Amino acid sequence: MKILIMGCGRLGARLAGTLDAQGHDVTVLDINQSAFRRLPEGFRGRRAVGNGMDGPALERAGIQDVEAFFAVTQGDNRNYFASQLAREVYGVKRVLCRIYDPVREQIFREMGLETFSPTSIGAQIMADMLLKGGPAAAGR
Amino acid sequence: MPNAILVPVTNSPASLEALTAACIVGKQRKAKVYVVHIIEVLRSLPLNAGMEAEARRGEQVLRKAAEVAQHAGYQVSGELLQAREAGSAIVDEARDRGVDMIIMGVGYQRMIGSVQMGKTADFVMRNAACQVWLVRPALDLEGGHAEGSH
Amino acid sequence: MYVIVAGGGKVGFYLAQELLQANHEVLVIERDASRSAAVAEELGDNVMNGDSCEATTLDSAGIARADLVCAVTGDDEDNLVVCDIARQRGVPRTVARINNPRNELLFKKRGIETTISATTAVLAQIEQELPTTDMIPLLQLHSGLEIVEIKLPETSPIAGRSVREVLLPPESLISLVVDPGGVPRIPSGDTRLNPGDALVVVTRRECVNLLREAVIGSTHGLDT
Repeated sequence: MKILIMGCGRLGARLAGTLDAQGHDVTVLDINQSAFRRLPEGFRGRRAVGNGMDGPALERAGIQDVEAFFAVTQGDNRNYFASQLAREVYGVKRVLCRIYDPVREQIFREMGLETFSPTSIGAQIMADMLLKGGPAAAGR
Repeated sequence: MPNAILVPVTNSPASLEALTAACIVGKQRKAKVYVVHIIEVLRSLPLNAGMEAEARRGEQVLRKAAEVAQHAGYQVSGELLQAREAGSAIVDEARDRGVDMIIMGVGYQRMIGSVQMGKTADFVMRNAACQVWLVRPALDLEGGHAEGSH
Repeated sequence: MYVIVAGGGKVGFYLAQELLQANHEVLVIERDASRSAAVAEELGDNVMNGDSCEATTLDSAGIARADLVCAVTGDDEDNLVVCDIARQRGVPRTVARINNPRNELLFKKRGIETTISATTAVLAQIEQELPTTDMIPLLQLHSGLEIVEIKLPETSPIAGRSVREVLLPPESLISLVVDPGGVPRIPSGDTRLNPGDALVVVTRRECVNLLREAVIGSTHGLDT
């Protein structure tokens, strides 16, 4: 599958490595070239430098041809914006979006976006670790 | 020398003490004393929304205030006002009525490590053009809570 | 009308000021505490310090009863989030300032009206729906000319006169007269102007206020 990942932070880099290892065609887009140092050794995908909130930068990274787009920068609003851009303007089939703020995440999900909040999921996992016994229960 | 004093009141003991003080000062200096009770209206409602329960409580506060003033030998008439923020309403009211002094009770909240004045008194202190006197009840250092105003 | 303005920068501040002058209920939401305090010095308690991208902030601002939300921060992504949350909370109309013109398409697709930063443009857009205003800016031309529509009130000083008799500001031209029945006419010097007529006038941008005075008579309403 052709996949574009916006944001090469810890999550973005890890995600890119995982999908690449599974044989997908991955491109990582980040505004900062130095962010690519986080990619695992032997990463075979493409690295694109540019602002994911900008159409031309997304196009250079090949957004017209991808089947999936991940928005995983540090900014909730940036992720939301880029996701809508991918969905509404470029018609990407699967758009997945990280939103830290659980309230906003729920709203965006109600509006039809595939979102995920590490804050609420993390809190749930930690509570489970305490109450249901051990990190294994949380499915690490 | 003040010609008119504005006393914003709530149901807190501090604001009734402030009113007593205002009556004493007012009597001495032959100044008018205006009493207002401000109902803060949440932004989810229009400013002129009917706030029956709050208005009833407000009337009670004003009646109580009138009694306190009477006791101090003074006739005051109070008014209910609806506003978004009590602080700016008090400052505006003082300006519109041309009062030269605001006397108000302040509540305080003790959090671990600090004592905080309410935001209304804080706003009035920073923004009122006229003189401002604050009346703060004795601190209960045994750890209990004094009742705050706003 | 209750209007929430997200962003207390220059655009937000002037926009709010104009709307307040036109007797609308306005709340400016500004994230930066010191900027918010500075705006509050001018606009009183029509300002709230908070992040307008947070649904909880918008809820306590009473977004459910807002008639219009204008997102005019300097960040397009924030403006999109504000407008989309507003929509989700049932606000009928949202207008966003776009800082990067390339983003216009996305906002359009999300059903958000857009404008390119200038306060006057935001106002013009809002004003087209305000029934209380007699003068509606229709279009700004690059040459410094502006096309406006003016509805002639009963009290207009030029009601009953012919086009020839009317003294307008320099370089102003009545280009179209639409009668109350909706019939348009290209006026001649003899065309009589009646109350209820809508005039489409070309004028210079700096003459808009003079024009308003000449046609409506007073200077109430929004300055543009």
